[in-house]
Amino acid sequence: MSENHADLIVLGAGPGGYACAFRAADLGRRVVMVDPRATLGGVCLNVGCIPSKALLHAAEVIREARQGDDWGISTGKVSVDLDKLRAKKESIVEKLTTGLVGLAKRRRVQTICGTAQFTGDKSLDIDGAAWTFDQAVIAVGSAPVRLSGWPKDDRIWDSTDALEIGEVPKKLTIVGGGIIGLEMATVYAALGSKVTVVEFMKQIAPGADAEAVAILRAALEADGVTIHTGTKVTEVKASKAALTLSCEGGFEGSLKADAAIQAVGRRSNGGLVNPKSAGIEIDEGGIIHVDASCRTNVANIFAIGDVTGNPMLAHRATHQGHVAAEVASGHAAALDTGLIPSVAYTSPELAWAGLTQAQAKDQGVAHKVANFPWAASGRNLASSGGDGLTKLVYCPETHRLLGATLVGRNAGELLAECVLAMEMGATLEDVALSVHAHPTLSETVGFSAERALGKLTDL
Amino acid sequence: MSNVIAPPSVRALARAKGIDLEKFAKDLGRTYIAREDLEGGKPAAGPARDTSYWDVDHSQFGPVTEEPMSRFAQVAAANLGAANALIPQVTHHDRADVTAIEALRKELKPEAQARGVKLTALAFQAKALARALREFPRFNASLSPDAKTLTLKDYVHIGVAVDTAHGLMVPVLRDMDRKGLWQIATEIADLASRAQDRKVGPDEMGGASITITNLGGIGGIGFTPIVNPPEVAILGITRTETVTVWEGDTPRPVPMVPLDLSYDHRVINGADAARFVSYLAGLIADPRRIMV
Repeated sequence: MSENHADLIVLGAGPGGYACAFRAADLGRRVVMVDPRATLGGVCLNVGCIPSKALLHAAEVIREARQGDDWGISTGKVSVDLDKLRAKKESIVEKLTTGLVGLAKRRRVQTICGTAQFTGDKSLDIDGAAWTFDQAVIAVGSAPVRLSGWPKDDRIWDSTDALEIGEVPKKLTIVGGGIIGLEMATVYAALGSKVTVVEFMKQIAPGADAEAVAILRAALEADGVTIHTGTKVTEVKASKAALTLSCEGGFEGSLKADAAIQAVGRRSNGGLVNPKSAGIEIDEGGIIHVDASCRTNVANIFAIGDVTGNPMLAHRATHQGHVAAEVASGHAAALDTGLIPSVAYTSPELAWAGLTQAQAKDQGVAHKVANFPWAASGRNLASSGGDGLTKLVYCPETHRLLGATLVGRNAGELLAECVLAMEMGATLEDVALSVHAHPTLSETVGFSAERALGKLTDL
Repeated sequence: MSNVIAPPSVRALARAKGIDLEKFAKDLGRTYIAREDLEGGKPAAGPARDTSYWDVDHSQFGPVTEEPMSRFAQVAAANLGAANALIPQVTHHDRADVTAIEALRKELKPEAQARGVKLTALAFQAKALARALREFPRFNASLSPDAKTLTLKDYVHIGVAVDTAHGLMVPVLRDMDRKGLWQIATEIADLASRAQDRKVGPDEMGGASITITNLGGIGGIGFTPIVNPPEVAILGITRTETVTVWEGDTPRPVPMVPLDLSYDHRVINGADAARFVSYLAGLIADPRRIMV
């Protein structure tokens, strides 16, 4: 056996890859984890979930400081030191990525900084070094989609560039009104940019509940964000003074911007590992399709996370990582749930899981809807929360929960109760009879269930 | 979304055990599957029994010795426990005049000796029971575990409980309605002796219409046997006793065999049981009628 041999090799050290590597190590495997990035944690920790949340927290602090006058709390004009903010964000990222190094060491997971490419179904190349392996897990994630036909210009950013906060452009246009685009809009609007969001679909946050999205949209617009839905960018011109984006559809005309963010989705990095030399099937979108046990068409090679397609979310990757580690180690495991929560960490947050009302209707699933407006939540009013809504989709016959959407402060945290309820097969009665602390935002979930049962006394 | 409700931990356990949850739930006729269902625990019937107070250190009260329950005995204990817990059973008591059978046995004794067969009372009782089952088909039936379907059997197989050194065994005699007394007596003797040596094949067990448990050779005036599912009834027999029967003012000594029929009340009503045992007692009292 060659010197460079791995019992189990994990390609990618993002939330899927490290979860897989650590779980496999905990199951007694000798694991090697390889990632081209100098730090562990992948996109999520380095240029995704975590730094964006740090900036969104800063945005919330700015917003609250500005609203302080209402409460008799004056801070004067809020100013932002971008260098300090960036340093703070980076220190948080560094703390987490170095924490991962410790976790890897403790488990004796060997980490290699390099780019891995398959050379066969039991061999690969890492920056010129030949390796053999018994089993491999592909967890190389995804990258922002680059729109074609755009000029090459430093003022055109992707989400990674945007998280650098090198500057706060006066006018910022964000192309793509999905979760990433809206989070960037939230950050830059708070930092002082005049933000315009252009979304091709009929609504921002496509796929989310329309009623909830309307509340988010109104809040963003109140924050000075201009939103054009059903609008396509047909041409982008870069002049010395500005970028000019020509638009068609819902908004006809051109938008002048000092910077533009492309946030139109992510593309699987599956093609980058030379999967064909291992005999791994990959589709035109670069997606490596796997079964519920995360197996590819090659018996000893697994794939997890964004390379396996939508939804490209870190928590899905983490769960798949555990599944792959367990299956590779001879255990029976599978990701046997469709309940992958979606959260936009905007202001207010938008969170959903399971069926939306529209999906239930489209799929012909018998359903009813119960909701609770947050204007009637004492806790929401007392903590200066804006408009919000809790909405449950349930089966009229069994009263089982089929889906939940929340929009409002901390909606992302509140969704967890709904996901657990759905996984446990909970009914409206179960949710209504579970005592929710008062006053909390979580009460709105219990209240929605009570409302559906005709037992609500808070409306 | 699946129609089966099972928490994620239960789904994972099912996967680890290789159980198809959809099929498992369908077989149980349920939509909610709990961990206990997969762990083969007792079905949720009746109150949960706390047996912790049985767990006593008996040696604190005096000298004791311990012996392990054999695997055979443990299986029997579990089955008896389930039958007793899950079947609402009633025992009907009656007795039958065996004057005619005893006379016949005496009369046939020389022939029996010549044939080398012991013509027992049990052979007559088994034959009479086979005939009674043909008259009362609901006693020759099985109820499905979900209690939704009753299967009526067009054959008469009778299980005979045999007390052996290693525990209770129930070999089954096939097609008793179509066999003569000599053959029945021969088969009972053969199976009973082979049961003692644990030489009864698996194909000679199971599939009975009903079971007879005969304590006549030992004693007793009656008992309450436990139905042996999936059968719906069991006939207990104790020692024949000569009792005084009044015919007008005249007392007459009559040898009577006690009959104790335990039955599954979900399938059989008390009145039917009384009719059945009364009919059976009539056949025993006048064995000519078995042939009519």
